[in-house]
Amino acid sequence: MRNDVVDIQQLENDLLDLVAEEAMVDRAVLTREARLEELNIASADFVMILMAIEEKFGVYISVDNELTDLETVQDLLGLAAKKITENDG
Amino acid sequence: MTNHRVVITGLGAFSACGAGAETLWMAARDGHSGARDVDFDRIPEQKVTRAAAVSDALLATHAVHVRPRMQDRVSKFALIAAEEAVQQADLGGQSLGEDVGVVVGSGFGGADTLDQNYWKFSRQEGERMDPLCIPKIMTNAAASWISMTYGATGPAYCNSTACSSASQSIGLAFHMVRAGIMRACITGGTEACVVPGVFRAWEYLRVLSPTSCRPFSRDRNGMMLGEGAGILVIETLGSARNRGVEIIAEIVGYGTSSDAGDLLRPDPTGAAVSMTNAMADAGLAVADIGYVNAHGTATVANDSSEAEAMQAVFGDAFGDLAVSSTKPVHGHALGAAGALEAIVTLGALRDQLAPPNLNFTELDPKVGFEPVIGAARPIDTRYALSNSFAFGGINASLIFGPPPV
Repeated sequence: MRNDVVDIQQLENDLLDLVAEEAMVDRAVLTREARLEELNIASADFVMILMAIEEKFGVYISVDNELTDLETVQDLLGLAAKKITENDG
Repeated sequence: MTNHRVVITGLGAFSACGAGAETLWMAARDGHSGARDVDFDRIPEQKVTRAAAVSDALLATHAVHVRPRMQDRVSKFALIAAEEAVQQADLGGQSLGEDVGVVVGSGFGGADTLDQNYWKFSRQEGERMDPLCIPKIMTNAAASWISMTYGATGPAYCNSTACSSASQSIGLAFHMVRAGIMRACITGGTEACVVPGVFRAWEYLRVLSPTSCRPFSRDRNGMMLGEGAGILVIETLGSARNRGVEIIAEIVGYGTSSDAGDLLRPDPTGAAVSMTNAMADAGLAVADIGYVNAHGTATVANDSSEAEAMQAVFGDAFGDLAVSSTKPVHGHALGAAGALEAIVTLGALRDQLAPPNLNFTELDPKVGFEPVIGAARPIDTRYALSNSFAFGGINASLIFGPPPV
């Protein structure tokens, strides 16, 4: 259980780094509460983020309803983490 | 100037469903998908594996008018479909002459030749390229092979507007024949895009489903690539009657529009204008249309936008309208899509059956309607509409009606 929590936190930190790089957003302003719209993260950035997730984690995520419903950075982290761990399982 | 009425006298189709317009219609009607697993050696850890791809064996079985080393798959597909359509229209074995044109679109043109030769050029030093790359790759090659094969020396066009290529080609040909610019035209679209480089490029855009193509369903997560060719022979009503050839259907309306907005994100207003223009062109009211073969790619963005557009256009009549996307059957054939789907729409009109929208599991509140699910649904209508909407914001709608009495 403890290991799972650490793993998820580590995964989410890795994802934050990845989002900052691919969406060209300053890592410092990339808080979990921040709204994607305010960070100017748009659909073209999603394509880059999803590509990087495939390269780093080996998971192919296509654009679906869950992805288009995301509002905050936390939403994005949660969904990406879910899809990555689903793929592992 | 008097407008001519324009009728269809020949149909031809070639796709993963097999050869023949009737074969395609029966696959759509019965919900038999042509999808299969495709495995590309050049894509490491390939994640998306389904496509409605034409196999080498299917192509070899049906190829006609083959000129060795001169034709990419995309031209071979087009010639198979054209031969069927020309034979049905009873125009075989003659030189068609200057009052017959060719308007055949494609999105990618000779993708296989391009892909193989760029791979050689970039990866294998010293390997020679195919000296005939250029004439095989050029997007208009299929249109030119058709005009050469049948001696059609009238106007020849190749419309390349991604997923609207074929619908716009048929629409343009319809308007030109109606205006008396040509007496008859061989028209449609062809695409041979299920090759490693193109497939991987689509995968990178994240619009291919890793699981299943589910148009309009809440759990949809992308499209499935297809390929093939659809060809129609169209001519003036007077020409068809003079020749005594059987008339399959009438083309009654064509509408097109450009979103002039976003390159990738569709605008429901543009799609609605396209459908409205087609109905105005046909002089029909929304209640006259009984079936819509939707663009229905199963991407999140297209299906919600198209649904919003249909609701805006059809209003109260939308509830009674039978709508389906048949892309789970023949795949999204890009530049051939509008022609393959026109042939499906014509089958639906003739047999008065709306084909099913496969793989639908759940109503999406953002889509707000259920397409025809399960089995084909009986319809009672004189007119059916087919939509195509392309990246680049280019929309096209065609309306077909019964043979004039």
